[in-house]
Amino acid sequence: MNEHRPTEDKVIATVRVALVFVVALTQPVLGLNTLLRHEYRPRALAVAAFVAVACVTAVSAMWVLRRRRLPGPVAITGTAVVLAASVAAIIATPAAEQFGSGDWAFGLLGWHLLLLLLDRAPILYAAMTVHFGVNIGYFLIGGPDRIDIGVAGTVVVGIGVVQLAAVVISRLLSRRARDAMALAAERDRLASRVLSAEQVERGQRTAFAGHLGATLSLLADLADGLLDPREPETRRWAALGATQLRRLFAENDDVPDPLVHEVSACVDVAERRGLDVSLAVSGTAVDLPAEVRRDLTGPVAAALAAAGKRARVSVLRTEEEVRVAVVSDAGEKAIAVNSPGVNVESGRYGDYTRMEARWRRQI
Amino acid sequence: MAPTNLSAVVVDDHPAVRAGVAHWLGSGSPPIRVAASGDDVRVAWLGEGATADVVILDLHLGGPVPAIGDLRRLVRAGRRVVVYSMRSDDITALQCLELGALSFLTKAEGADHLLQATRAAADGRAYTPPSLAGALAGDRSDQRPSLTAREIEVLIEWFQSESKQLVAERLGISQSTVNSHLEHIRVKYAMRGREAPTKAMLVARAIQDGLVRLDDL
Repeated sequence: MNEHRPTEDKVIATVRVALVFVVALTQPVLGLNTLLRHEYRPRALAVAAFVAVACVTAVSAMWVLRRRRLPGPVAITGTAVVLAASVAAIIATPAAEQFGSGDWAFGLLGWHLLLLLLDRAPILYAAMTVHFGVNIGYFLIGGPDRIDIGVAGTVVVGIGVVQLAAVVISRLLSRRARDAMALAAERDRLASRVLSAEQVERGQRTAFAGHLGATLSLLADLADGLLDPREPETRRWAALGATQLRRLFAENDDVPDPLVHEVSACVDVAERRGLDVSLAVSGTAVDLPAEVRRDLTGPVAAALAAAGKRARVSVLRTEEEVRVAVVSDAGEKAIAVNSPGVNVESGRYGDYTRMEARWRRQI
Repeated sequence: MAPTNLSAVVVDDHPAVRAGVAHWLGSGSPPIRVAASGDDVRVAWLGEGATADVVILDLHLGGPVPAIGDLRRLVRAGRRVVVYSMRSDDITALQCLELGALSFLTKAEGADHLLQATRAAADGRAYTPPSLAGALAGDRSDQRPSLTAREIEVLIEWFQSESKQLVAERLGISQSTVNSHLEHIRVKYAMRGREAPTKAMLVARAIQDGLVRLDDL
């Protein structure tokens, strides 16, 4: 939820800026006008309350205009000052003037509370209740007649409804904005997932095509009659192509020991073309990325394709290193291809050709 | 100085394997006589089987549980055992050595390795076929003795090539040096872990042959 917080704050912050202007304009224009034209007892108390809430507006404007959330202590202190001012204003305003033309405070202080507590709804509702309760309670103690009650009721309901509506609407708006934001974020997430899935698929296609490369041209040359299937060299290429394809198919199988599975696939093809292969495995499965396995088994496929009658394939692994070797009776050594992670070594020793692909864990 | 008229007892639950092993041993030079064979380890304790020089024991006698208990009892009685197993599982291979088996062969390894292992066992020596060399090279257990870099290379090359000639050529040493490296490794293993008569015999032979000195122990 945290990531949606700023959106909610954005709506509330905008409403707050509007509130600051409302309060800053209403207080000097309407409030001050009322304060100067009517009698208050003691006047000093009314003036003090007026100045105090003006200060609250000024202080909170420092955060609100920068669109920042009011710090807890500032909001709470401001609320206390406003509520105290509410009480002071009631005391200073003559009973007959309450909710009447001399009451500068009732409506104005409600806006102050909104300004201070818009993002702290429970406290806002409590403070509003106290503000309204104190005003209405004090009014009722004075023993108003029915006409007074009628007039006061109109004022209280009028102001109360407008202020409550402002709270409800801004909160509703902020919740909507948050939902819309969450929805947009979810859509973005989905879109980027689709994009990355497409990219992965494209990558797999190119990789597959890349691995098929040699085989495709071989098939094309055979079809065009450029290569003679009776030639030993052609057969050797065909054997290599078949081994690479079989290894590629094995790569995507879900098995507990992928490396041995892929090496076995190479051995399988070699055995089908009559090679006598012995496969030995030592150690348990080590978790290797697909590229490393490809770099380890690629030379195996090449060495097996080059072998004549016999080959020994071995996989030796510990936690630190994996060594895949092919010792065969191949007349010539297969081309050794080194890759960043895998070191391939190849050589002839008497009647034997030996190839070893070796991967070491980077520390 | 291998004794002539060697005899072996074959314990395996497949009649074809028993017949095949008997044939291989009989056609070796010099031939090894199969004194008794059967699908139960009792043949190694009764009649002619009880006095055979070497016990060739299949670890998986008709059940999923390897016959480790039988191996332990045979070794404790001083019998020279060559374990001949269907599976090439490193942990089981190392466990058999720890118990005192003189060799561990997988059935994928042919007649030559079986003959050499049986002859070596009759003589109280260890034989390390390529698959076992692979298991020793990959051994990372606490029981593992400290091997020199050269010894590890010998194990790995032997595992990879199955040819001592190639190992010798690759490492620039003679084939007999390859053999003595392999024997030395097995003596180091024999000196670790629990006692067994065959292990003591192995160490004694190594001292006799000048492979290790008494001070090394």
